Amino acid sequence: MVTSRLSDRQETAVVVLVAAVVGLALAPAVLGATGDTADTVAVVEVEGPILSPLADSVEQELRDVRQNDSVKAVVLKMNTPGGAAPASERMYMAVQRTAQEMPVVASVQQSSASGGYYTMLPAETIYVLPTSVTGSVGLAAGAPQPNEPVRGPSGPNKRGGSVVGQWAVQETLADTFINTVMKQRGDEFNVSRSEVAKAKVYLGTRAVQNGFADKIGSTDEAIREAADRAGLDGYQVDTRETGFSNIPSLLRTGEQPFLLQNDDRIFVVYANDPGYGQVQPMKFPLVHQGAVPHIDTVEDVTRSDLRSETDSPDDRQRAGADGAGGVNR
Amino acid sequence: MTRPAVLVIAFVLTLGLVLGAAAAGGSLVATDGGAEDPPEIENEQYLDEDLPKDRTPGTADVTMDADVEPQTVVIDPGVESSTRRPSGPGLPFVPTGLGPDTTERDILPLVNALIENGHDVRIYTPSAGQERPRRPAPPGAEEEQLTPLGQELADADAFVTLRTEYDDDQLDEIRDFARADGRVVMATEPADNFDQPGAADLRATLNVTSQPGYVYNMADNDLNFQRIFAEPAAGAGLTAGVDRAVFPTATPVTTAGAPDSQLIPTAGAQLSTSRAETDQPVMVRNDDVVVVGDTNFLSPENAQRADNDVLIGNLADFLVTNDRTPEEQPPQPPEPAEETPGGPGPTPPGSGQTTPDGPQPEPPSDGN
Repeated sequence: MVTSRLSDRQETAVVVLVAAVVGLALAPAVLGATGDTADTVAVVEVEGPILSPLADSVEQELRDVRQNDSVKAVVLKMNTPGGAAPASERMYMAVQRTAQEMPVVASVQQSSASGGYYTMLPAETIYVLPTSVTGSVGLAAGAPQPNEPVRGPSGPNKRGGSVVGQWAVQETLADTFINTVMKQRGDEFNVSRSEVAKAKVYLGTRAVQNGFADKIGSTDEAIREAADRAGLDGYQVDTRETGFSNIPSLLRTGEQPFLLQNDDRIFVVYANDPGYGQVQPMKFPLVHQGAVPHIDTVEDVTRSDLRSETDSPDDRQRAGADGAGGVNR
Repeated sequence: MTRPAVLVIAFVLTLGLVLGAAAAGGSLVATDGGAEDPPEIENEQYLDEDLPKDRTPGTADVTMDADVEPQTVVIDPGVESSTRRPSGPGLPFVPTGLGPDTTERDILPLVNALIENGHDVRIYTPSAGQERPRRPAPPGAEEEQLTPLGQELADADAFVTLRTEYDDDQLDEIRDFARADGRVVMATEPADNFDQPGAADLRATLNVTSQPGYVYNMADNDLNFQRIFAEPAAGAGLTAGVDRAVFPTATPVTTAGAPDSQLIPTAGAQLSTSRAETDQPVMVRNDDVVVVGDTNFLSPENAQRADNDVLIGNLADFLVTNDRTPEEQPPQPPEPAEETPGGPGPTPPGSGQTTPDGPQPEPPSDGN
């Protein structure tokens, strides 16, 4: 009987070899976990008012999607009343670039109107729910007002312009939006350009009839169509949040910006208890105005809460003693 | 270090090396790691030469043709106080209304034309304390005192109002003024039917009507669908020389009886409440009353659009070519109610009412 003993060097080599084999056996799992090489449909969520931070986030996500070879198609999960014109244009262009490289399908939730509609124009198919709201192609600006003369600026337009000039700018901006809509979806519309320019909003059931949308369906149908268009048999779904949840400075406050309107214009409010600099008028809003609460309505709804908070304990005690305890002032 | 420990370390290092390489490779496979060369996109619609609209404000030359003695014109621009909302600690920041209300500036082209032609213009802008009902006559006085507006109208030949909310005493005085050959221009806004409950009273006083809603035109407009064009449809005079005028927020208006002249929206105009086409006038003259379904057409910037300057000059001519002689046609405060039971009801302006001095002559035509 012959016994042999490996040398230390041979022993080490065997261990390394075994480790390498084990490593190679586990490598595909690691590769899959880190690389997501499986065919993927990315669902990019576009939620809330369309402002610069949201545009930053959507642009970045779509750039990442285009650079990720495993992503074969994109579904835009839309739920927005629209927002600022420049941010809407940026997102439209980002979607347009993505649609050059892979199928893009849009899925409207509660609403995707005005700037939201602008954003999803390049999608090959727009899915809506029966009660989704879409359309509102136009500019929700206020009437230009004359400026009182100011002394100091270097030129007459530096701190003000002519009323007619401002009307011309607004009309140009509205036409830019409408022309883009007509370019992207004019062939699908059963309505005229003039009708589009009226800025109507449509329920999903109506939108699929007049061409503002293509199909009734939920995000699942949109994902399936996106995968079909990409020729995928098996795929995974990668949902990507965008917007304010991805912005650390806003995430810290725990608050998301929201829109309000008064009789003259629409405002962006960046905090529930805003201070200076946290309320900004929106100069060129591509917003479905019906989705934006009026400041008077907000005041009416919140007044009792505000008073409850500001009343002193003595006041509340007095109110209770007067028999007004059941009345929410 | 013991031999088993050496072997364990060798195993772990090798395994880590292989898996690390796999992880790095995976990342490289998922994204190319380099800067993206973004796909080119085309948006020719942004480059359309016709897209940017003409920003030229235009020019205005408001002239008057009437060659008459200096007249006195009272103008009520309808200045409104801005709404103030509560603010303070514990209450949220509330953006208050922006933009000016109607001011003297908004009627400056008409005012300037009248002044340049030697007429007296009085802007009626009462303070809150002045805006009160007619005071009862003091003991010993023979008749009730006039309201501040009535006092202004007593010496005036013509009256322009961009306001619709008057109390009963003021409405009586406006009616008396119109009956006594005073010329009246009433300009109203579509919104007046929403927020000014007294609008119907003034319209009834002057025998004019307006519609709820506004007129718009998606195809033929001045830089906005609400800034409609209107063109003459009947008569001349008030609309002489006007090919088309711009009305920024117009509501249809009518007067009792056949109009002497009127402006109607151009083809394609629609009414907001019905979404149906409309050809109802937005400016009508009937005898001594002109009603306009818009107040902004008089503003300096709108005077420079289309033929608004011609129209404003015509309005100024209309105001000063009246048949009123204030000193011979003093205001007639109503008799106390108990002294006039069953008395004659209101009569339309210019219908030839009776005064203590006898019937007034029919106003001669001024060519309008």
